[in-house]
Amino acid sequence: MKKPASKFAGFTRKYAALPYGVFMAVFVVFPLIVLLLYSFCETADGSLSFQFTFDNFKKVFSEDNFSMLINSLLVGLYTTVICLLIGYPVAYLLANKNYNRSSVVVMLFMLPMWVNFLLRTLATKAMLEFFGISMGMGTVVFGMVYNFLPFMILPIYTTIQKIDYSLIEGAADLGASARVTFWKVTVPLSLPGVFSGITMVFTPTITTFAISKMLSNSKISLIGDYIDQQVKHLNYNVASAISFVIIIIVGISMIILNKYDKESTNQGGGLW
Amino acid sequence: MAEKITTDNQEYIIELNGLTKIYDGKTVVDHIDLKIKRGEFVTLLGPSGCGKTTTLRMIAGFEKPDDGTIRLEGKDIADLPPYKRPVNTVFQKYALFPHLNVYKNIAFGLKLKKVEVTKKTLTGKTVTKLVNMAYMPVEQKVIKKDGSEIVKTVPFCRSYQMMTVTTKKGVRKVKKVNMYKKFIDDKVRHALKIVGLSDYEDRDVNSLSGGQQQRVAIARAIVNEPQILLLDEPLGALDLKMRQEMQLELKDMHKKLGITFIYVTHDQEEALTMSDTIVVMKDGVIMQEGTPIEIYNEPQSAYVADFIGESNILDGVMPEDKKVVFAGAEFECVDTGFAPNEEVDVVVRPEDWVIKREGNGILNGEITGCMFRGVHYEMTCLAGGYELILHNTVEYKPGRKIGLYVDPENIQIMKKQHVTNRFNCDILSNTSLSILGAAYEFNPESLFDNCVYDAENDVVTIDGVQADLKGKSYVVSVDFDKIDLTDSEEEAPLAGNVESMIYKGKNYIVDIKTDDNSHIYADTEYLWDKGDRVGIAIDKNDFRLVKE
Repeated sequence: MKKPASKFAGFTRKYAALPYGVFMAVFVVFPLIVLLLYSFCETADGSLSFQFTFDNFKKVFSEDNFSMLINSLLVGLYTTVICLLIGYPVAYLLANKNYNRSSVVVMLFMLPMWVNFLLRTLATKAMLEFFGISMGMGTVVFGMVYNFLPFMILPIYTTIQKIDYSLIEGAADLGASARVTFWKVTVPLSLPGVFSGITMVFTPTITTFAISKMLSNSKISLIGDYIDQQVKHLNYNVASAISFVIIIIVGISMIILNKYDKESTNQGGGLW
Repeated sequence: MAEKITTDNQEYIIELNGLTKIYDGKTVVDHIDLKIKRGEFVTLLGPSGCGKTTTLRMIAGFEKPDDGTIRLEGKDIADLPPYKRPVNTVFQKYALFPHLNVYKNIAFGLKLKKVEVTKKTLTGKTVTKLVNMAYMPVEQKVIKKDGSEIVKTVPFCRSYQMMTVTTKKGVRKVKKVNMYKKFIDDKVRHALKIVGLSDYEDRDVNSLSGGQQQRVAIARAIVNEPQILLLDEPLGALDLKMRQEMQLELKDMHKKLGITFIYVTHDQEEALTMSDTIVVMKDGVIMQEGTPIEIYNEPQSAYVADFIGESNILDGVMPEDKKVVFAGAEFECVDTGFAPNEEVDVVVRPEDWVIKREGNGILNGEITGCMFRGVHYEMTCLAGGYELILHNTVEYKPGRKIGLYVDPENIQIMKKQHVTNRFNCDILSNTSLSILGAAYEFNPESLFDNCVYDAENDVVTIDGVQADLKGKSYVVSVDFDKIDLTDSEEEAPLAGNVESMIYKGKNYIVDIKTDDNSHIYADTEYLWDKGDRVGIAIDKNDFRLVKE
């Protein structure tokens, strides 16, 4: 006689989640605890002495570093805004059947993501140097936008594509011109995708290190570069502290975004 | 065509002339002519794919006609985009905006409303412009600090009046009220009241039931006071009880609002209940147009009779005026104007049979089945070899022998639309021909008079003269009962899909649509299903030459 699968040898379905739980504990929760511990400790000669201190945070918010923090946030902000300005129209056109009927074009926009990110950035650098463009804030933002644009396009594209066409027809029927329909129906209904896009661009932008280093000839230093430097000098505590600060910043921006996301609509849903 | 401004027939609000829509080479709407009177409730009725929704969408402006005109109040609106047409649509799936609440959904159209404003320019010319109603100039009394009153012109959205209002807590007080907001507020509340959803303003549309969402969709359309309200199967997604309730409410709303309704449905009962005029459509063509009573009592074709209500559709012959023979008996009728012995379709509604004692009627039969259907019993009866459906409030048990009579007025006689299948054929060889691109065997002796076919030498002799048939073209006919339908399409040269069937009491007339959209009719005893893929076999002796 067949036994029901779920009762097999006392194995219920919940045990299937066990490997995942272990994975999360080992690779997410435990490192976070270590991070937290490190950021509130003092290091003497590379050995850990569990002495509670705020020194690491003091270092993070010292004058030099503070401008670096602001720089990071600015790069993140510029990149996100530019990505949104380019990404939304592109996503709109890609999702609109009048302009684009093939998924090949969508694919082409995603294709750069398949190329190694270091290789891409090196190539960008070579190209910018070839044209004689001086490295600085502008080139860093350019590199960021180039790297993260697909992460803005994809979620917006998905939400716009999911908008029921009868809503567009309904708006036209009620007297809305194409322009009014766009602002009053398409944009509000695609906001979840916009929020996903912002999250997926802003968060990695403020923490990457290689792009800023390469595309500014190390003139501009961002949080990522700073962490890189600290780890290289075995200053794990300061590196942990600044990582902790970033987690807080990202967390706050997530909370704000989620709040707007819930207020706007509950249709469609972003990429996640 | 001469440009004729239709001042003489202003009673028609909308006129469709030769309206045609073609999708990928397939004609979905085929030169439709339709005139709709002001204030009428018109239903476009037909099975799915008959072109009714496409017609509606062309009126709304979502589809551009390939040919023909749409005249609204005498003006051609074929090139007007949907947002400029004075019509509003209630969509089948409601199409409510999920990001707006009930109030904002209904106010959506109102806030976009444009009005004509006549302005004087600096040069003294008067120009008429369309502006959003919010910016329409209105006169506003303003009390100055010194107590004097002046009249200023301000945009509608900034005009106000002091009014006594009752707050939510029930306190009455004098308040400054924005007149534009109040205007929209009043309209929205009025629309909600009409659809029976007062106090639902702040609800999220996703939290509403299907019926409530449909009411919001209707309110959203009627609040704009369109000249024509288009309804695309608006009750299709509702359950039976709700649907019946909404039918009556819609009819009621139509009476109250006095605007023209164009309603699309495939539900004949819905059409009969609500409409002033029913337009029955099939394959992009109007089959019949008339009041529900006309359509029900005097269907002009077997198709309409079969589609609307239950009916006995039988083959008959009219030996002379006011006499018709069907089901093996001669009946009196009221129809005239047919050729002697013309073959006709006869329709008798099940409730029109009068059941008598055996021998006292015109036709004798035996009850073969009986079912209770609420108000009446539905019985099947075998009479003269035909199976008939009878409705009666008295139960007759199976096996009971009865006589049947029909009042002459209740016999509906229709000209047959098709008597035989006609094909253009090309002769391929002395024994094979091609129709609709498929090769069939044929016997020249049965196709031509005085023809002899010598099979040994493959020679055809007609009227004593040897003939070369190859390459010639003729028109041939094949009778309905000579078409054999086969289960597998490989067994026959030609295949098609079953489009519709009509039961003729003894046999079915099956309408088969071939892949190149030609129709072939077959008379068969077997029941096929709509959409079945069948092979079309024709015996070589059954082709007949049509002499032009």
